[in-house]
Amino acid sequence: MSRYIIRRLLLTIPVLAGILILVFFLSHILPGSQCRALIGERATDAMCADFDHLHGLDLPVYQQFVNYVAGLAQGDLGASVKTSQPVTTLLIERLPVTIELSFYALLFAVPLGVLLGIVSASRRNSSMDVVTMAGANLGVSVPIFVLGLMLAFVFSYLLKGTVLWLPPSGRLTPGLTITPLVVSWGLEDLKGPLRNIIDFFSNIYTFNALITAQWVIFVDAFRHLILPAIALGTIPLAIIARITRSSLLDVLGLDYIRTARAKGLSDKAVVRHHALPNSMLPVVTIFGLQVGALLGGAVLTETIFNLSGVGRAVSESIASRDYAVVQGFVVVIAIGYMFVNLAVDISYAFLDPRIRLQ
Amino acid sequence: MSPSRRWSLKYSVAAASFAILLAACGGSTASKAPSAAASTAPSTAASTAPASVAPSVAAYDGIAYPKIAVDCKNRPPNYTGEFAQIKAIDKLTVEFDLCAPDVAFLSKIAFSTNGIQDADYLAAHAKDKSIVRAPNGTGPYKFKEWISGDHITMVANPDYWGDAKAISPTLIFKWADTAEKRLQDLQAGPETASGIDNVAPADFAAVSSNPALQLINRDAFTILYLGFNVDDAPWNNEAVRQAIGIGIDRKRINDTFNPAGSSVADYFTPCSVPGGCEGNPWPAFDKAASIAALKAANFDFTKTYDLYYRPKVRGYFPNPPGVAQDIQAQFADLGIKLTIHVEDNATYLSNSSAGKYSLFLLGWGGDYPDMTDFVDYHFGTGANKAFGTKFKDLTDALTAGATQIDPAKRIEIYKQVNDLIAKHVPMIPLNHAASAAAYQANVTGAQAGPLGNDAFWPVKPGDQPQIVFEQNSETSGLYCGDESDGDSLRNCEQMFDPLYTYKIGGTDVIPNLATSCDPNPEGTVWTCHLRDGVKFHDGATLDANDVVMTYAVQWDANSPLHVGNSGAFDYFPGLFGGFLPKP
Repeated sequence: MSRYIIRRLLLTIPVLAGILILVFFLSHILPGSQCRALIGERATDAMCADFDHLHGLDLPVYQQFVNYVAGLAQGDLGASVKTSQPVTTLLIERLPVTIELSFYALLFAVPLGVLLGIVSASRRNSSMDVVTMAGANLGVSVPIFVLGLMLAFVFSYLLKGTVLWLPPSGRLTPGLTITPLVVSWGLEDLKGPLRNIIDFFSNIYTFNALITAQWVIFVDAFRHLILPAIALGTIPLAIIARITRSSLLDVLGLDYIRTARAKGLSDKAVVRHHALPNSMLPVVTIFGLQVGALLGGAVLTETIFNLSGVGRAVSESIASRDYAVVQGFVVVIAIGYMFVNLAVDISYAFLDPRIRLQ
Repeated sequence: MSPSRRWSLKYSVAAASFAILLAACGGSTASKAPSAAASTAPSTAASTAPASVAPSVAAYDGIAYPKIAVDCKNRPPNYTGEFAQIKAIDKLTVEFDLCAPDVAFLSKIAFSTNGIQDADYLAAHAKDKSIVRAPNGTGPYKFKEWISGDHITMVANPDYWGDAKAISPTLIFKWADTAEKRLQDLQAGPETASGIDNVAPADFAAVSSNPALQLINRDAFTILYLGFNVDDAPWNNEAVRQAIGIGIDRKRINDTFNPAGSSVADYFTPCSVPGGCEGNPWPAFDKAASIAALKAANFDFTKTYDLYYRPKVRGYFPNPPGVAQDIQAQFADLGIKLTIHVEDNATYLSNSSAGKYSLFLLGWGGDYPDMTDFVDYHFGTGANKAFGTKFKDLTDALTAGATQIDPAKRIEIYKQVNDLIAKHVPMIPLNHAASAAAYQANVTGAQAGPLGNDAFWPVKPGDQPQIVFEQNSETSGLYCGDESDGDSLRNCEQMFDPLYTYKIGGTDVIPNLATSCDPNPEGTVWTCHLRDGVKFHDGATLDANDVVMTYAVQWDANSPLHVGNSGAFDYFPGLFGGFLPKP
């Protein structure tokens, strides 16, 4: 197992190198200058010549790449041309938003999806099965932006003034401020990687509020996540429900399940103890793929609900030709995706002893 | 534009010129400081002061920037700017020495990028860019926090020098990049948003008819135009351009795609700008005459031509695809086939400014109320290549207009300018598109001025403890000497004061941090008298050196403090001609 893990980790290096080269050169061959994307109609040729020289954009592309890799080797992901913030800082600010949203989206999608899949498989061809699968089809078919806007319209506008009202955007009600962890723990003077890690977790608002007992903030942050989490989690829910049903049906048709039933076990016991564990492998695979996809940033959901996550940051940076941000975020997302896949592959061994023995 | 406002606008420029003439008759209202008054920087800033600061010989350690004034008769190579020197005469007096008269000087110093910074704060925070996210101004609001990607919070400045202190204790800026999203947030209630910018034209009626909301119209200060590259066939034929000029039904475009308050553009510049609507209006639409003129010019109707536009919604362009398609249809009515090309924003701006598009749609939102901001930028000697080769008679007239201090003579020049534009037709002016902001109905004091410099200190957010205003995009930075997007500038305007400012909701220029700025008879020296006792948010006291350094850091490309955010400082050359170049 450890050799397998080491081999997989070593494989990430060439993959990352390939991604880095591809993203760097692709973003630099995009038409349109960074200067004009930033300054707009007022940009003049002289202004852009100075701008390009200031930011090293007048160097040959290969030289820019070498400089970028040299910086990367020292942990410097560059800085946003638009805001002058280091990309590292932007990651610490934006990635927690996406992680938090993804967590709650999957918290909504996975248990409910598995449950619906189990119910459907257990009551195959019943009205419950038909309704559940129709709902799953609908969930997959409705575009996220339509669902998101509809949810916001219903819960933020139509239900305004009722207890069911939910905020349509943002992370906290304007005027509320969350206390950073470094302030709660008296570590304001802390610097370096540890500070970055603490700030990273501090920006996961529900986590921060939970561990520092800021209950008003926790409830408010959670309420702001309900609608985007439902919008984002609907497609994974539908997929997980369908895959669970399909996989469980396959397992329920096997001989050992017939034997278990013949022994007098209840349906519930058969499904829970015998069928379900063996049907989870495809579900875990789908789960891993969904985590990776969500970590890539749910651009539409983040845009609709005004959440400053990774997807929105990358989307805005592409439009404004903010190369350093695009490159930095893509590399980090790629690393995250690879580690999630690795975790999924490793989990197979624990789920299926046959794989472990192999 | 109401006649009274137009009169008052013309008066503000005329007043500046009149002051010059009065000074010539009754003695100088300002005087040049003796050359021996060059001085050192204050000792607190000495360690990071620019190298060009000279030793003090006056009681006040005032800065003269640069130490040796630019010789306007023998300019340094590559220097196209209008400043020769900016110097602190005494603690509360600043003198701007210009190489040539600038009639728009007061309008320019009122612009948002010229909010006055503390010299010591600049010295401490400009070089490492920390000033970008930690501003320190003198304005009615002061900065509290910026949660990246989410919001900016400001709190009322209890020590504000002015009578108009902020009513709401807290001001929060959020952003959403679509009008629909902003309106949704506004409709969700005052906890989510007190007000929003740029309501979609299609939603004007919905907002106006909603008793819980109020629509506040913003007068048009924009221009949308159909541009030609006059070097590219067939548009290199002036007769063809003139024919197209009367072949486009601009009223149809305005009525179909623009919100209420918009108008057909009979001139390139809105009429709210003095000189904007002088001379003959654009010829009336006449399709038959247009076709006849095209035939007389031997136009090739067999070819298909290209029209370019970008889909980015702007204040002057609320419905880009709709207008592009209508232009295509109108050209078809003239017998001309067009293919529409949609380009990404960054690509479009690069290519259009390089003159790569023969026929294109673009526009402009005005910054300050002077003709130089509109016509000089687009058709003057320093304009980019979008329209191709410039017309010498037009550029000569524009140069004359920019330096003519006699208002009556200036108007005559701009009559000529407008007539030349209509003659040469580098573009066809289409519309001046209005826009609007929207607020909760119980919000009072809100305005939507044509310049976009909305003031929030007189706004009372109903029964809410704070104003929450949703703008179009996230602020890029809060050091506005190096910002150019309207959202960033709007944020700065709450926290910084320039020497002069625009009247709230309008375009008149009025004293602000300066009690007055007076020109000499030639209009080449402006002496500004500062208010006494003004404090920055960090407690420092405003003095003349702060004004000098505010401008010097933007002006001097060689200064170690000329760092900014992106480093472009793109408004400065547009306002004042150019940077002090590196030696």
